[in-house]
Order: sequence, then structure tokens, then C-alpha cells
Amino acid sequence: MTSARSEAHEPTRAQRWRVPLVAAVLAVLPWIAPSQALAVNILIYGLYATGFNLLFGYMGLLSFGHAAFLGAGAYGAGIALARFGVGWFGAIAIGVAASGLLAVLIGALSIRSRGIYFSMVTLALAQLVYYVAFQAESWTGGENGLRGLTVSSLRIGPLSLNFLDPTIKYYVIFGFVTAALWAISRLLNSPFGATIEAIRENEGRAQACGYDVRRMKLMAFTLSGLVCGLAGALDALHLSIVPIDTLYYQTSGLAVMMALLGGAGTFLGPFVGAAIFLLIEDSFSLWTSHWQLFVGAIFILAVLFLPRGAWGTLVAWRADRRA
Amino acid sequence: MSRTLTDLDRRTVLGGGLAALAAPALLLRAARAADEPIRIGFPTPLTGPFGAEAKDQVRCAQIAVDQFNAAGGLNGRKAELLVRDDKLNPGEAATRTLELIEQDHVACIVGSLSSSVQLAVNEVTKARGMLYVSISQSDTITEASDFGRTTFHEALNPHMTAGAVARHVFKPGMKVAILLADYAYGNEMAAGFRRAAAAIGGVEIVLEQKHPFGTADYSTFLPRLRSVKPDVVCICNFGRDQANSIKQAVDFGITRQARIVVPVLLYNQRLAGSPEAFEGIVGGANYYWTIEDRVPSAKAFNDAYRAANNGAVPSDYGAYGYSGVRLVLEAMRRAGGVGTDAVVRELEGYHYDTCKGPETMRACDHQAIQSVLILQSKAKAAMKSAADLFDVLAIEEGSEANLRSCADLGHKT
Repeated sequence: MTSARSEAHEPTRAQRWRVPLVAAVLAVLPWIAPSQALAVNILIYGLYATGFNLLFGYMGLLSFGHAAFLGAGAYGAGIALARFGVGWFGAIAIGVAASGLLAVLIGALSIRSRGIYFSMVTLALAQLVYYVAFQAESWTGGENGLRGLTVSSLRIGPLSLNFLDPTIKYYVIFGFVTAALWAISRLLNSPFGATIEAIRENEGRAQACGYDVRRMKLMAFTLSGLVCGLAGALDALHLSIVPIDTLYYQTSGLAVMMALLGGAGTFLGPFVGAAIFLLIEDSFSLWTSHWQLFVGAIFILAVLFLPRGAWGTLVAWRADRRA
Repeated sequence: MSRTLTDLDRRTVLGGGLAALAAPALLLRAARAADEPIRIGFPTPLTGPFGAEAKDQVRCAQIAVDQFNAAGGLNGRKAELLVRDDKLNPGEAATRTLELIEQDHVACIVGSLSSSVQLAVNEVTKARGMLYVSISQSDTITEASDFGRTTFHEALNPHMTAGAVARHVFKPGMKVAILLADYAYGNEMAAGFRRAAAAIGGVEIVLEQKHPFGTADYSTFLPRLRSVKPDVVCICNFGRDQANSIKQAVDFGITRQARIVVPVLLYNQRLAGSPEAFEGIVGGANYYWTIEDRVPSAKAFNDAYRAANNGAVPSDYGAYGYSGVRLVLEAMRRAGGVGTDAVVRELEGYHYDTCKGPETMRACDHQAIQSVLILQSKAKAAMKSAADLFDVLAIEEGSEANLRSCADLGHKT
């Protein structure tokens, strides 16, 4: 049990500085990335993959159904905006609450199983959510997707921001993502973080130590759902639509792929994975219509030669040099 | 007291210096805008099941751009086509559209292929006052809730297409069964057939059988279809679903008792299938290359396409790509600039003929009033060449009577 060592009490320097570090990189991202729309996608999918990684990397539960939480956040916020005229901030809160509720529900049902069965139960329940959204056309817009939720200006007290301006949009979403990352980082450095890693390493032993494993699992599952829900709500604001594809199982697969590419079980890995994946996809699809071939090849090479992911390998290499 | 340079405070000097530096830059920028190309954003699903259609759309759109440039452009300003792969995914399409607007500063967006994707693009463009010409079928986009001042729909819509096919095929006293894919496209097409049947009168819809999108095996639906003994079976699905369901319906012997009708009979879909599976099937289309013997603009378009593509002929969705881009470039030329308001004014009520005979852009909902071709798939023995796929049974000329009225669509009239 290497990674959980002493994390609960004395956060290492790296752990203390990881959020300021990522915030600094993300603050200049719009000027590095090929476009601001892509930079916003990196923020949102980075957060989504980080939320997924809470469960997968830290708790060791592989969910194939996280699209449900991204979608619940997006549809929750979108329906609040489009159908009830709720303000943008209230809409985000509703989206996050909706996905949290769904996560408690799906979590309570799925944590009774383990391993591949857990993955299959989450997949099945998420597909259920997909078909409900597909059929509930008067609420969700069905296959055409949810429209009519364009937010053109944000009122913050006396301030009115033009949300159609890509730079302002980026920094508003950046604020939410950074706050969420900070909260996740604090949580992982807390005894709770150490406990879920202990459960990942040896469930029986954690139970023998007196931890309520099932409760911890449900808590981690719900937290993961909340984070993904926030990503979904931000996505709805960003794109001003909620496509039905948000709930599709391929979106769940995307989280797995991003986490593996960057390094599951590391704090920044999923974010790095999301950035790599989206950048490759964006630049290659401009260059050739066979971009999937290259993305697939890169993914295979990464799994073969960087099994800890791009960021995970870097972290391990540094740790080796120190030792 | 005279002020000397040293009296000036630091801020004034800095401000003045910046202004002095910025002025030529701004002037330069204004000067450059005049000879910068007119960029047209073209999101289309190059990858995915409609890749063949999308690639042909790009080829045809490029022809429209080349013709515009060869004719001198807009007072010497050339046009440029920026193609982006939207992967047939609404979220991806919205992102690409944002990039095209924010990063590439396009003058307008033309493109997309599928109802949900065009609605996503439309949501982004209309919030930003960006011109958008949609070139794939949808009834929803011209309805008041989705429509925007800058939204234009050059493609046919399900109401027009299914209606034209129904008016050609349905006769009073007929029994009609509908097999539809349970999503926007299937439901809109089925609604089009239903409305047309009601208008004709005496046509009985005996069964509406829904199947999930992406069904491979139709053996559970076909016995029900046969048991109601219809005269006509309308199959409302698209792409692979259409190929699978038609093939199985023919194998099942549906064609021995009923006529199979599809709302949209596509050139590339028929090429992907076989002449045997499609033989005798009737469907609607926006374009088919053999209309060149009666429509001069179609002849000109086909010739330009043949010259650029080793003698091949354009497909129906390709024609949309050409028409959509040419339409907006013509309007810009007539408006004398790319300003959105001026171009919108030019397009509203515009009478034009890009490649299929006369069309009119209806002012109230920006739907192109145009002809619908009724095609029948040829038997293999009757095909004179590999491109000779269909007989043109009839051409229903464009008429406002065949569209839903703007009041029905929720527009204020």
C-alpha cells in the first residue's frame, strides 16, 4: 500500500500544490489550445474524468455508467433553464443536485455487486436513464436534444457578464472547475481519502479495521456523481444544448479512456488524459478523416507502453528518482 | 503656463503611446478585412454512417465556392470553405461551430446532416446572430421555437417529402401500413404521411409499427405488417435501418401483396444496397442527376461536377451542399457585403435557381419552397450504367400549398 502512505495527516508538498499548479496551467490554456471552445471542453471533460477517477482510481470501482451523471447534470441544469426559466446559478445547483440524487440511487443499487458485475449493473442502469430521456420528449427534447437554454449574460450581483464572449465564458467555467478540484483535493487528503484508498487496496482488511465499507462506497459513488453532474451542468451552459448522446454509453467509455490515458489513481492524470484525448482528436480530425485510426493506435500504444498513463508514468518516474 | 513634456503624467504618455501604436494596427486590420476571404464554415459528418453523403456535400460545396471565385468573388474578395468533421454528434457540431465563429471568424455557416445536429448548430448560430443555412431534413428547425432570424432551411423537410410521395402513391380506398424508426426522423416522416393521407381522404392507416433506432432484425415486425393486408407499406427509417428493413421485407414477401414506399430514396443508400433489394421501390428526393434533360441549371451543375470528379455524377445530398453555399454567396454578392442584416434581407423571399429549377425562400419561416422528385428504383436489367439507378416518375413542382403554413408553425403572421 504505497500511495495511501501518510496522506491522511501530512499532505506532501506535491499534494498541497497540485491544485494551484493545475489552476496556473488552466489559466493560460485558452492561449495555448487551438481554440477557446476546445479549451472549455478540456475543462469540462477534465472535471468529468476527475469525478470518474474518484471512484475508479481511488476507490477501485470501475463504473461503465458515468454518462448518466454527466447527463443528469446537463439535463437538470438545461431543463431548469429552458423550461422553468431558473437563473444560471440556480440551474447549475439543480443540475448538480439531480445528478447527486441519481448517484445515490444508482450507487445504492450497484455497490451490492463487485468487479465486472458492478460495471455491468452501472452500465445497465445508465442505459435505462438514456432510454427514459429518449422517450420523455416533452421534457428532454428526445433525440433532437434539449434546446432553448442559451445563457447570453450572467448577472452576478450588480455585474453583468457577456457569456457569449468566449474568454469570459472560459474563466467563469474555469472558476467552477478550479473550486471543484480544490474541494476534491482537500477531500482526498482527508481521512476519508485515506479510507477509500484503503478499501481499494484491501476491502476485507478495511472492514476488519472497523470501517463501514458499504457506506464509504456509497459516499464515494455519490461524490463522484456530484462532480460529474457539475461537469454536465457546465457543459449545458457551454454548448447551450444538451444532446441525447451525453447519456449514451460511449460517453461513459470516454471517461474510462481519458482516465487510463492520463493515469488512473493520480490526481491530475484524468485531467491530463482528457486534454491529450481532446487535443489529438481535434487536431487529427482537421488533418484527416481517418483520425479514429490514429487515436486508436495512440491509445493502444499508451496502454502497452505507459500502463500508468501519461501523467502516472511521470509521477512514478519522479518518485523512483527520489527513492 | 505652458506644459512641457515633463509635466505630462505617466498615464497620459503611456495611453498616448499605446494609442499611437494601436492606430496603424487598427487601420491595417480594417484594410485587411476588405481583402480577407469570405469564410464559410461547413460542419458535416465526414466520419460515421453518413460519411459518403458528407464527402459529396464537401465536393459540391467546393464547386460553388470555385465558381464564385472564378466569377470575380465579391468585388474581388474571394470565398473560402472551412470544412469541419462534426462526427454526426450534436455536441461536437456545437463545439466546431463555436470554433468557426470565434476562432475563424466565418461569415456564415452552411451544413450538417441530421435533425439533432442541425438543431444544435442552429442554437449556437442564432444566439450569436450568425447566418446559418441548414441542408438536411427537419420539420422542427423552421418551427417558431427553434427558428431564428438568421436560420435558413435549404433542404426539403419531412412534411414536404412524405407529402409528395403520399400524393403520388396514395389513392382513396387504400390501406396503408407504416413502419417507422422511433426517433425524430421516423416520427416526422410518419406524421407527414398521416397528414397527407388525411388530406387525400379515404386512405386508411391500418397500422403504425415502431421499431427502435438501429434495429438489425425485423422478423418480429414484418408478420404484423403482413397480417393487416396493406396496399402500401411506408418504411420511415434511414441509412442502415432502411437497407436492413427493405431487404428483409422483400425476403419476407411483402412486395408480393403491397407496394413499398420510402419518404426519401437516396442515391448513395441505393448504391450501398443492391438493385434487387430496392427494385420497384418508390421514394422522394430533392435531386437526381437525370433531371438535367429538362432542367438547364441541373445540366450546368452536373457538368461542373463531372469536370471536377472524372465524369461522376453528384448525389442528392451533394446537391444540397452546392445549393446551400451558392445561395448564400449569391445573396452576399447582391447585398454587396457580408453584413448579416443585409444578407438576411436579400434571402427573404428570394427567387433562385441553383441546380434543380426555381426555388423560393419563404419569408416567414425561411423554408425553401422547391420541387420534390418521385423516384422508382430500377431493376438491374434496366440499368444503362452504374449511375443509372432510378426512373423519375414525377416531379411535384414547389408550391406553398405543400408546406405547413407559417401560422401552423407558430410564426406571427
